[in-house]
Amino acid sequence: MPQIVDLSIDSVDRSEVLRYMGYAGQEYDPSLDQRIDQAIARAIEVSRPRASIDFFDVETREVRDDGTPVLRLRGTSIELAGHSMEEHMADAVAVGVLAVTLGMGDERELHRLGLTDHVGQILLDSASTTLVERAADAAESLIVAEATRRGLYTNFRFSPGYGDLPLSIQPTILSALDATRRLGITLSPTLLMTPTKSVTAVVGMCTRPQASTRRSCKGCPCFDFCTIRPTGRTCHG
Amino acid sequence: MDSTARRKPRFGTYDKRMLRVRDEHLRRVLQGRDFLRFDGAMGTQLQARGMAAGETPELLCLIDPQGVTAIHRAYVEAGAEAITTNTFGASAPKLGGEDMVPQVFEAAVRCARDAGARYVAADIGPTGSLLQPMGTLSFDDAYELFAQQVVAADAAGADLFIIETMADLAEAKAALLAAKENSDLPIFCTMTFDEDGRTFLGTTPEVAAVTLSSLGANVLGVNCSLGPKDVAPIVERMLPWSRVPVMAQANAGLPRVEDGVTLYDVHPDEYCEAVGGMVRAGVSVVGGCCGTTPEYIRGERDLLQGMEPAPRSVRDDFVVCSSQQLCVLRPGDVGVIGERINPTGKKRMKEALRSGDYDYVMSLAIEQERTGAQILDVNAGLPEIDESATLQRLMADLQGVTSLPLQVDSAVPETIEAAVRSYPGKPLINSTNGKRETLDAVVPIAAHYGCALVGLTIDEQGIPQTPEGRLAIARRIVEATDAAGIPRQDVVIDCLAMAASTDQRAPRAILEGIRLVKQELPGVRTVLGVSNISFGLPFRPLVNATFLSAAFSAGLDMGIINPKQQRMMDVVNSWRVLSGEDESAQRYVAGYATRSDAAGAPATTGASQQVASETGGGQDDASLSPAERARAMVLAGRKGPMPQLMRDILADHDVMFAINDVLIPALDEVGVRFEKGTFFLPQLMASAEAAKAGFDVLKEVNDASGAQVASKGQVAICTVKGDIHDIGKNIVKMLLENYGYDVLDLGRDVDPKVFVDAVVEHHVRLAGLSALMTATVPAMQETIELLHERAPWCKVMVGGAVLNPEYAQMVGADYYAKDAAESAKIAAEILG
Repeated sequence: MPQIVDLSIDSVDRSEVLRYMGYAGQEYDPSLDQRIDQAIARAIEVSRPRASIDFFDVETREVRDDGTPVLRLRGTSIELAGHSMEEHMADAVAVGVLAVTLGMGDERELHRLGLTDHVGQILLDSASTTLVERAADAAESLIVAEATRRGLYTNFRFSPGYGDLPLSIQPTILSALDATRRLGITLSPTLLMTPTKSVTAVVGMCTRPQASTRRSCKGCPCFDFCTIRPTGRTCHG
Repeated sequence: MDSTARRKPRFGTYDKRMLRVRDEHLRRVLQGRDFLRFDGAMGTQLQARGMAAGETPELLCLIDPQGVTAIHRAYVEAGAEAITTNTFGASAPKLGGEDMVPQVFEAAVRCARDAGARYVAADIGPTGSLLQPMGTLSFDDAYELFAQQVVAADAAGADLFIIETMADLAEAKAALLAAKENSDLPIFCTMTFDEDGRTFLGTTPEVAAVTLSSLGANVLGVNCSLGPKDVAPIVERMLPWSRVPVMAQANAGLPRVEDGVTLYDVHPDEYCEAVGGMVRAGVSVVGGCCGTTPEYIRGERDLLQGMEPAPRSVRDDFVVCSSQQLCVLRPGDVGVIGERINPTGKKRMKEALRSGDYDYVMSLAIEQERTGAQILDVNAGLPEIDESATLQRLMADLQGVTSLPLQVDSAVPETIEAAVRSYPGKPLINSTNGKRETLDAVVPIAAHYGCALVGLTIDEQGIPQTPEGRLAIARRIVEATDAAGIPRQDVVIDCLAMAASTDQRAPRAILEGIRLVKQELPGVRTVLGVSNISFGLPFRPLVNATFLSAAFSAGLDMGIINPKQQRMMDVVNSWRVLSGEDESAQRYVAGYATRSDAAGAPATTGASQQVASETGGGQDDASLSPAERARAMVLAGRKGPMPQLMRDILADHDVMFAINDVLIPALDEVGVRFEKGTFFLPQLMASAEAAKAGFDVLKEVNDASGAQVASKGQVAICTVKGDIHDIGKNIVKMLLENYGYDVLDLGRDVDPKVFVDAVVEHHVRLAGLSALMTATVPAMQETIELLHERAPWCKVMVGGAVLNPEYAQMVGADYYAKDAAESAKIAAEILG
């Protein structure tokens, strides 16, 4: 049964927003600065970041007839196929699966700007992309916390469509996380998620620290959402 | 999909629905005189029996019918009368094919029957895809998926439909229409709401109740969502607006996982206590959703013993709604219908519709909402365009920029039907009239789709001169609407304003007509397009305003006016004080306390302040010439000062100078900087926006002087079918417009045929296609193939994140545009 979590996010990294806009140190008019700030505030105002998370133990590792390696998980029909997953989940004994979305409020506002204010649309789109990645950080921190509770180490989150993890896994992930009913994430026949500012990902929970396991809290994207550090411990031991 | 056309009843043959009701108890339930008990959760029970997450639960009806039947039986034994089939997601795409639908429904109904269900409720849940315009699933395709389920369920022997867990009002409407048009079984329909009291798509409980009960749901309500304590206030908001019984199926609170076991935090006793509150408030159909078990249903059975359904009172206000908000007029309230989206007699609007310039239409909608319109009239009646297609596109786009309810304005019944069929909400139809043929064509549409309806007092003999003659026609209209089952408050009579300059008795006849209609046809509302009254007179706004206040006094409920005319809104706002609608004159005082002359020019303080603050930056050096300053403002990307600077330039120069010596060189410089990387994308766009503000002024001046600046040619653009990412397309549009091209923007998720039709119709020589996802590249290829076939003269450029020069060549494009600046160069190469 997936866990549904409201994610409270009240700020985003402004430089990250600029990066999504293709900013590389250009000089620009202060009036644009103002509009970027407004777009960030608006993104936060109209979004309702939410996550659905569940954990599944690794059941078997097999190779399909066509040679594709596949990881099967206990209690779900999600199958993680391909070489990317074979490598990424090599030490995993369990997998955290997440879906996050900013909700239809943000999507509607993007659509409205698409019809009325194209500059505003670009700015809000970048702010929203930054915000949904931030929401994914927050969701990931909950998986890190669960891993730590189990004495396991996480790797970085990996989304369908990257490497050779196929997008065709989206319907099963959304279904397993009850994401249409609980979060309002819908999927088109072309496998496009709406709200478009939605992310699905899997995180490996491994028996030993991974190359990507954080070695320090400094610079960790989950830092602001970490529930481990306040207890006096860290996820990297 | 041919089957859609086959299943949809032939136009104009909407008989009143004769329900097939299984027994007397169910009949009493539908009248609100008996309670009905549904069952509780299926999913939770299946999971408890070991179903894997992500599995297709509906297939268990075929694989493990005994297991499914056992769950049903436990609910029957606990006292559930209606058993919900295990078919929540049993649509063709989810089951893996259309032929699976009848199989699954047949098995599912049998499971429920075998369990001893008194009534088998065929479950129909959402498709899982989002409907247009926010998503890519068309209303007709959604309807077809639901129709397959409806036909299968009816054939399998279900007793009623339970359409549930809907978050999208458009999708609920598609399902409801599919049930209504393909079966005569009763329809129960529930939506799911979030903690903020809205569905994920923003629909409120009031909007859901108004729309679903108008459309013909036999029972409506709430399911899933939240625990019963939080569902109660949502149901209570529905009750006054539902003309049919109301149902509630809450979750057993919120789930939490303890040691791998899922527990819900609301226990049966607490659950039933909250249900008791809802029943006392008027709910008469109960059951449970996620987390509930037979124990909860048993509790409900005990609860209802010895109780009677509570008496309910339903509001008889005039009400229409979009998917987001209601427009409610209590008896005595007055309403404003914005008249401006109508090409009749409006040159700019005609031009916008002909050239596909919907931005202008959107700006009119936003302005009317800002100035006080509560409903927007939408008319696309121009002989040289496809009225029906244009009206539907306008209505879809308008829903993106305003949440006001829309009034569908057309003289063609088929156009009206196509527009109201997929409209998410309850629209107002403008109009029918006293002609027998029109009544027979339009009244059934209003009844079938649950719309409010304007009736004009005109018939085969024309407009009667006397008030009694107008009343006689109104009476005929109301007889027809009464017979069709349309509630009186949904009927709005227009006594038709005639020019006072040609017949000075006309105004009194109209006013008396309004009074008579209100007096003789109780419950019916009135509306008036006011401005005709002043035709042929000087200073028309004064006459219009005087007449509007007289009409309010005679009992007029709604005026179709231009809310931008301050004088008209002054009448509306002050009348609301005099009638008592504006309680304690609060709104009037807030709006008028600082006004010195109520009939003066419209307030512009807001706009001028904005300009002042935007000019406040250091770069607008007053010592420079207006041309130099305009150039600087384009480079800075500041649109605020642009209109004034353009006017300053035109004081000494002509329009061509402003274009060729000011704006275009500035834009060229912007292009160079973007290419060199000294500008990033938002700067490019802000500059384009500033230049556009300049061009808009030049266009206005030009239109006024009657001069013509030749367009450099037309470019048709869209985001291809299946893709809703339109940022790239919008950037290209803005830049091309700046360089003097007319852009025919077909929007996003555009069907290849629709795009090519437009290219052929306008004989466009350059097409631009955008795709952001690998999955939509085939749709791009399909569009290009169709273009080559039907519009071989048209060159094609493509762009978007997934494309590169090789890919572009592979899909058959003539050009690959790596960014928007490149697309402007391609346009220059082809169109000059």
